[in-house]
Amino acid sequence: MIELRGIHKVYQKKDTEVHALKGVDLTIEQGDIFGVIGYSGAGKSTLVRLVNYLEQPTEGHVIVDGAYLAEQSPNALRQIKKQIGMIFQHFNLLESKTIYKNVAMPLILAKKSKKEIHARVSELLEFVGLADKAINYPSELSGGQKQRVGIARALATNPKILLCDEATSALDPQTTQSILDLLQRVNKEYGITIMLITHEMSVIQKICNKVAVMEEGKIIEQGSVLDVFGHPKHQTSRNFVQTVVKTDIPRRIKDHLNQQDVHVLTKLEMVGEHATQPILATLMQRFELTVSAVFTNMTEIQDTTLAIWYLDIQGKEADKINALSYLEAQGVRVEEVSI
Amino acid sequence: MFDTNITLQQFLDAIGDTLYMVGMSLLIGTIFGSILGVIIVVTRRDGILSFPIIYTILNIIINIIRSVPFIILMVAIIPLTRSIVGTSIGTNAAIVPLIIFITPFIARLVENSLLEVGPGIVEAAESMGATPFQIIRYFILPEAFGSLILSLATATISLIGATAMAGTVGGGGVGDIAIVYGYQRYDTFAMVSTIIILILFVQLIQSTGNTLARWVRRR
Ligand SMILES: Nc1ncnc2c1ncn2[C@@H]1O[C@H](COP(=O)(O)OP(=O)(O)OP(=O)(O)O)[C@@H](O)[C@H]1O
Ligand SMILES: [Mg+2]
Repeated sequence: MIELRGIHKVYQKKDTEVHALKGVDLTIEQGDIFGVIGYSGAGKSTLVRLVNYLEQPTEGHVIVDGAYLAEQSPNALRQIKKQIGMIFQHFNLLESKTIYKNVAMPLILAKKSKKEIHARVSELLEFVGLADKAINYPSELSGGQKQRVGIARALATNPKILLCDEATSALDPQTTQSILDLLQRVNKEYGITIMLITHEMSVIQKICNKVAVMEEGKIIEQGSVLDVFGHPKHQTSRNFVQTVVKTDIPRRIKDHLNQQDVHVLTKLEMVGEHATQPILATLMQRFELTVSAVFTNMTEIQDTTLAIWYLDIQGKEADKINALSYLEAQGVRVEEVSI
Repeated sequence: MFDTNITLQQFLDAIGDTLYMVGMSLLIGTIFGSILGVIIVVTRRDGILSFPIIYTILNIIINIIRSVPFIILMVAIIPLTRSIVGTSIGTNAAIVPLIIFITPFIARLVENSLLEVGPGIVEAAESMGATPFQIIRYFILPEAFGSLILSLATATISLIGATAMAGTVGGGGVGDIAIVYGYQRYDTFAMVSTIIILILFVQLIQSTGNTLARWVRRR
């Protein structure tokens, strides 16, 4: 659906150059909710603005729904943009126009008939739960409601893609949740592919199926959300994952264990149905080991569960080795960690 | 009752002349000034139809005209005025320099008002695939409308001042009364009433502008 190939972006200022993107390759499939996360200045906004050509790459190709954007005439490009909705951190609504007019704007630009516009706008306001706000002005709405208007407006022309640049960053956690729920409905009910930029891992955790982690103009890691959350490879990814999944053993527990002369633990990572297996019972009964769970963490991601357990396993070394290879055969990731 | 040399009729005629000069030059100046203002906003370096050469040329022309004080401008362009209206005195003759004076001023005010519309609005418009014309028509102008009204009030007030000055060199209007009677014939009543009329005009225009702008913005 969206393909970025070998993208470089250099901003030319009078005497300085900012190399905002340094060789980015990215593929977003139809139906994905694709998250891009990174710290401030990583190049996330630049990346998303390439997809609807608000920004042109210095080098590389942007291919949307099979079309090379660089090869399009200005007119064809405008038609393609109508297939791509966008919502913004600060909503960017027209303060001088009613909610109805704001949502109608893309349709007015497309010269639709009054009747068509009315039908579509009513449907959209219903969908985002703002049917009663049609004649209000943006200044009379809360941040969450404004973003709903932004979403309704972005959907007006029935786009195939929705781009979200920090769409929830100006909202409180509860409102963020409701906007994320709405985005999920947009994805499920209309089958719209979503590309979402954020600096909050919790946003990725809640609705994305794929994620790319950006740092200094490069994508340092990408994959399914489950994989990246389960085994983040890069330190920055790990830092982001840490913000929502507490995978480290708390200091206090470590100290306590060290006092009892425990210096090695077994870390298990399980996903989905594995997470609900009676692991401890199996280890104890079948392998006659003494097992105590020192620290566990379960996180909901993508309608499934990621479980991380730190176990203190005591018993015969041979039994232990057998037990661990048994677990690995079950699809559990096993790792010895020293504390 | 008052010790004065002017008749009420003369005074009313003068007010009429002033309104005529302000009205005409405002109308024509607003048309040209707005077009100029829009052009310099869209052609600037990061504008939606960036064309730095046009921007620079217009910018310089506007600055040049704006740096000439009105009283000098009026005298300097007498040949031009004469070639357009056939004479260099009277209300119609005053309108030519008034238009030349107010057009670049309005262009600047319009420029400022349009630039107040945040880049986010333009970005939203571009993301919808709006043409440059649509961006101006449906996004920038409506969003700037309240501010444009205030700009117009400012321009009108400036024009009233300039009109009074035009009066001193035979343009007619209340400025003429103030000079010919108030100053040259020591007619205090004529002077004071001219000042009061000017104050009333300015107050009225400013508060009308404020009210309209508030109504348009509905905030
Ligand atoms: N229009 C521009 N002109 C010059 N430099 C720019 C421009 N836009 C972005 N940059 C630079 O490009 C780099 C990446 O910026 P970008 O806005 O893409 O980061 P970001 O990841 O979205 O950050 P944030 O989380 O703060 O929004 C930054 O160094 C920024 O200063
Ligand atoms: Mg950004």
